[in-house]
Amino acid sequence: MYLLLCRSLTYAQRSGKLLERKGITATVTKAPRETAKNGCSYCLRIPDRHREKALVLLESAGLAPERIFRLDEGRITEVRP
Amino acid sequence: MIYLDSAATAFQKPPSVRQAVWRAMETMSSPGRGAYPSAMYAADTLLECRMALCRLFGVIEPEAVIFTSNATHGLNIAIRSCVRPGDRVVISGYEHNAVTRPLHAIGAKVEVAAAPLFDRPAQLRAFREKLKGANAAVCTHVSNVFGFVLPIEDVAALCRAEGVPLIVDASQSAGILPIDFQGLGAAFAAMPGHKSLLGPQGTGVLLCREPPEALLYGGTGSNSLDPNMPDFLPDRLEAGTHNVPGIAGLLASVRWLLQRGIRNIRSHEEMLMQSFYADIAENPRLKIFRAGDPSAQTGLLSLQIAGMDGEDAAHRLAEQGIAVRAGLHCAPLAHRSAGTLDRGTVRFSFSPFNTQKEAHRAAAILMDMAR
Repeated sequence: MYLLLCRSLTYAQRSGKLLERKGITATVTKAPRETAKNGCSYCLRIPDRHREKALVLLESAGLAPERIFRLDEGRITEVRP
Repeated sequence: MIYLDSAATAFQKPPSVRQAVWRAMETMSSPGRGAYPSAMYAADTLLECRMALCRLFGVIEPEAVIFTSNATHGLNIAIRSCVRPGDRVVISGYEHNAVTRPLHAIGAKVEVAAAPLFDRPAQLRAFREKLKGANAAVCTHVSNVFGFVLPIEDVAALCRAEGVPLIVDASQSAGILPIDFQGLGAAFAAMPGHKSLLGPQGTGVLLCREPPEALLYGGTGSNSLDPNMPDFLPDRLEAGTHNVPGIAGLLASVRWLLQRGIRNIRSHEEMLMQSFYADIAENPRLKIFRAGDPSAQTGLLSLQIAGMDGEDAAHRLAEQGIAVRAGLHCAPLAHRSAGTLDRGTVRFSFSPFNTQKEAHRAAAILMDMAR
């Protein structure tokens, strides 16, 4: 599972809708505390297999995530785009 | 009651508005706080409303559509974003106190681009003469007292050419006249949700092109560790809990307007105004402020009755079931420009829900009163 940290709830919603339209399941949730260096934020949860396609779609729509994290059995690690 | 005070607030609204408010109160909590279904339903509704407003006003980014509590709130944000103490600001002679009071409070040097009522070419000339070197300009699209449609597209073009940021007060035009925010190139456009947008009271919209200054500081559900307000929209301008039921209602009304068509609404209100005017035009006791060119006036008409105080006239009309507003309409500048400051006017303003029968009935009662 990847977490795409978005700069605002509105961006997260727009990103989620874009991905859903392209067949990628994307769930808007609150970002885990350790991922949001400025405090509260929202992120998109997407399945591992869709990461590359999701990033391309979001980048081309001007909705590139602020940061990207991998969530694996409760462990969160930041990954580069 | 025959309600003819839609310029103050729309009393009759599409039924879908009430239903949407009720549904919101039953199913939506607060957006931007949690991520459980009722919070996300609220968040999705806000985004849908922003996107519907984008379609209505020609805005590209939904983040540039800000929810306010009314037009006054939006105008205060816009003015405080564009104007510093001592700045020279050019305004039309038909501005509401929601424009003149914030400018006065800031200590701006206000210059009025004065022009006779309903004279659009003169209004444009007046702006052209004063704009050079101004720090900002504010122009109402439609006068709330007289329904005068100012040449906002041409004023906006002048401002663009001079590099002067323009703030548009769209309080009386949003939902009646087409507004292409992108095309205008204005810095901001403020409007209430509860007048011709037909949404609930407690809602308003501010369209942003320029980076704004926050007016309210508080919780946004984002960047909580940062003591500063977020530097991105809409969060920068939307501190505190949203009026979710209100915005849900506004979404319903905007969808109704998009479906019905602004031009059809304008045609209907023009027809009502013309019916009303035709019935009263020959009364020698009535001084009626009517544009010679119909395109220079919306479905809003002010008049004075010889020998009768305006508030007394409004009271007598109310006793007979006609709801109107009298006085200065929070716009003394407009009255000063039109020469009606000493007595004010009685204002009749129509909505998509008034009928021709109502226009005739109101005219008949007024004629009887003014015999």
